[in-house]
Amino acid sequence: MQSALAKAVALILSADAELCNILSVTAKMSISSSLIALILGVPIGIWLGSSRFRGQSILLIINRTLMGMPPVVCGLIFYMLFSGVGPFGKWKWLFSVRIMILAQVVLILPIVVGNMETYVTGIAQTVKETAKGLGLSGWKTFFLLMNECVYQICSTYLLAFARSIAEVGAVSMVGGAIAWKTNVMTTAIMQYTNRGNFSLGIALGLILMTISLVVNILISVMQRRINR
Amino acid sequence: MKINAFSKTYEGRKVLDMPEMELTSGKIYAVIGANGSGKSTLAKCLAGILTTDQKQQILSPDISVGYMPQKSYAFRMNVEKNIFLGSKDLIRAKKLMKDLQIEHLAKKSAAKLSGGETARMALGRVLMKTFDLLILDEPTAAMDMETTSLTENLLMEYCRETGCVLLLVTHSLQQARRVADEVFFYYKGKLVESGKKEHVLYSPEMEETQKFLKFYGE
Repeated sequence: MQSALAKAVALILSADAELCNILSVTAKMSISSSLIALILGVPIGIWLGSSRFRGQSILLIINRTLMGMPPVVCGLIFYMLFSGVGPFGKWKWLFSVRIMILAQVVLILPIVVGNMETYVTGIAQTVKETAKGLGLSGWKTFFLLMNECVYQICSTYLLAFARSIAEVGAVSMVGGAIAWKTNVMTTAIMQYTNRGNFSLGIALGLILMTISLVVNILISVMQRRINR
Repeated sequence: MKINAFSKTYEGRKVLDMPEMELTSGKIYAVIGANGSGKSTLAKCLAGILTTDQKQQILSPDISVGYMPQKSYAFRMNVEKNIFLGSKDLIRAKKLMKDLQIEHLAKKSAAKLSGGETARMALGRVLMKTFDLLILDEPTAAMDMETTSLTENLLMEYCRETGCVLLLVTHSLQQARRVADEVFFYYKGKLVESGKKEHVLYSPEMEETQKFLKFYGE
């Protein structure tokens, strides 16, 4: 165990080529998917939280259900859609980083929407009433509402990123965990552990835990700012 | 200023029934009544925040309406920027902040203000603009006696200078006596009595008004 840990630290310090490739693919997938989910999810969340319309409660129930969707189910759906016999098979996206990003977006988007909707619901009415009372336009009110959500948006992004980087089920199914191509930290840890190569697994685990720690500290700082 | 008759129903229960009425420019109208009498609903309907049962304009579209909700909101920016949301008039902003004694808080984050300070800032923000009709829903509820007094003076000055109609929803009969020209008394969503304050607050005709005044012991 001690020697594996020492090797892991050595791998990190020597910037091992395979380790760097895994980190690069992980960063590409996690940052892209969380950003896309944020860009799509924030306006949807604000809209759901600040409007009242027929069918809204159904949309919210659907979103909450999707928030708990098991990643392997998501992976299975995308695998079927993009495999050779699937409707999008001719695009040849299966086992690429692109399909991993897409699957992650589907997994993270409901979380972004739900997180924003819950927050906006709590402030939207007062903000809208105050803005209306001042005779402000609809756009100005929307930007004010966005401004009120700045820290919540940052916190939601970090949450989405953390979910994306730690996910394993969907990405291993649609990405295939191909070395030097689609292998990300989580799938690599599984692979190397199965092969008995604990040092690389531990090195990746240490990096993953460090990233998770930093992200969680940032979320906690953001939450404190929101509550202030 | 003419207000068309309207009503408001919530879940099959009529919570407000408002007859047609005429308001005079530059006058202050106090809206009084017990909790649940429909005062805030009246304010929200007139401000266009709630739709009425008739779903038609209650006021002429060319009438500008300002409204300050019961719960003052501090936007996530400093006090000065909050005030400038009303208008960018720097001279007016400085005067209002001075009158409301929040000049020293100009650069302070609005989120860190006390309840009374937030209410003063919210009032300053809405008074930055000139409206034909200004509706204030219990603007001094979070203020102490001193700031309530200076706020009342400021409101009277604002109406005098701008010719705006001020509709002041209040729980305080004393406040209505101090600042109002006329008083509307609401009881269970109905306008029971209205007229000059000398009449409604000192020698009311209706039994509900008499009971209300007696209950509040003022």
